[in-house]
Amino acid sequence: MKGITQVIAVELKLIMRDPMSAFFALAFPLIMLWVKLRSGKPLPGGLPAVDATVPMLSIFVIGLAALVILPATLAGYRERRVLKRLRATPASPTMLFGAQWVAHMSLAAIGTVLLIVIGLAVYGLTAPANVGGFLLAWILGALSLSSIGLLVGALVPSGRAATVIGLSLFFPMGFLSGAIIPRETMSGSMRAIGDLTPMAPAVQAVRDGWAGDAMSPVTLGVMVAISIVAGGVALRVFRW
Amino acid sequence: MTAIEMDGLRKSYKAGKAVDGVSLRVERGEIFGIAGPNGAGKTTIVECASGLRRRDGGTLRVLGLDPQSDRRELLQRIGVQLQEAALPDAIKVGEALRMYASFYDKPADWRELMDEWGLTDKRRAGFASLSGGWKQRLFIALALVGNPDVVFLDELTTGLDPSARRTTWGLIREMRERGVTVVLVTHFMDEAEALCDRIAIVDQGRVVAEGSPRELITKGRSDSLEGAYFALTGRDMA
Repeated sequence: MKGITQVIAVELKLIMRDPMSAFFALAFPLIMLWVKLRSGKPLPGGLPAVDATVPMLSIFVIGLAALVILPATLAGYRERRVLKRLRATPASPTMLFGAQWVAHMSLAAIGTVLLIVIGLAVYGLTAPANVGGFLLAWILGALSLSSIGLLVGALVPSGRAATVIGLSLFFPMGFLSGAIIPRETMSGSMRAIGDLTPMAPAVQAVRDGWAGDAMSPVTLGVMVAISIVAGGVALRVFRW
Repeated sequence: MTAIEMDGLRKSYKAGKAVDGVSLRVERGEIFGIAGPNGAGKTTIVECASGLRRRDGGTLRVLGLDPQSDRRELLQRIGVQLQEAALPDAIKVGEALRMYASFYDKPADWRELMDEWGLTDKRRAGFASLSGGWKQRLFIALALVGNPDVVFLDELTTGLDPSARRTTWGLIREMRERGVTVVLVTHFMDEAEALCDRIAIVDQGRVVAEGSPRELITKGRSDSLEGAYFALTGRDMA
């Protein structure tokens, strides 16, 4: 794991220096929060909208970092032969992937913290009922969605193509899984389709954790399974 | 002492044979040139020797290590500059050197290296903002940051203007003075003639001639290495 702190620090700086990534992962979710909470009406069932929206948007941020930015970084590095140059150093591939994951998820973590802080300060967000459960759900969501992002980054030849594919995975999943529209306001058929996407268990689990509802072991297990399968395939097919 | 021993190296791609039985010896402390036309197999030879590609056949030892089975250990002791390799656009010169230094067990002092190669004034410059000459300077510094015994430089001066090329030649000679063995891949004969202690001329995956620039010029019955190159590869100026 030699050099991991260096690579994480540099990669995080590089992400923050890219105005698009910084805007989409940090500012855009706050704009979404503002748009969603303008009406101030509680959700069907009586839950204050902010208590659903902040956890939902934390998965939105993870999705952007994991499904859009991470594969674009990896594919762009391959296209520009950045990966090839790294391969000619003693840096271990596990360390490099691990560092990329930590750097991109740090971006998502910063985005999530911003949402929570603004939620608490401006919108009267209720503190999470089960902090450990929320964190576990967030981390499993980050792992499972990143392993899909890693798979895209492993297969797609260029950074541009990775962005297009990443966005076309991210937006439909985001809308159908309840990361953008609360599940309570979605029709039954939309919810049924959304439940088939890998983002749905993440949304379900962070919301359960935040609200203090029982967390389904099946939901958590599905995220672990996605991480292992997609991550394993990604590492197998990865080209430098 | 021998830095690289290569015997009957073979490597094929789907398109055909890239390297077809190349045998070479590179001595410690010399600048060894691998010259030849585009597609001759020069880069493949270097990629096999630096552990980036698996060879199909032949024996290969770099610093006594097998680039395949002792890859990790070897990568600690060699430095590589790859053709058309790049760094992320937004990375700064200082960040790149510091990060690359962190990969090695016994790295050079990256600040000292930055100073020695005249990069200190550029330390806060982003990679994308550097001119070709400065990028090459940074690549040389990155190839040296692990304190290597052998450095592979693949077409280092392609795309540089004449004055930047001359400056780069000076930098490569400086490496040799520090005791580093340099393997230089080039298709510029003036460069090979000016820099190399010995040269192997490679064509269609085979070594067609090997020796010091003077020996090759004599062998090719010419007055310059370029003339000898055309005579030895059987290619004419057209």
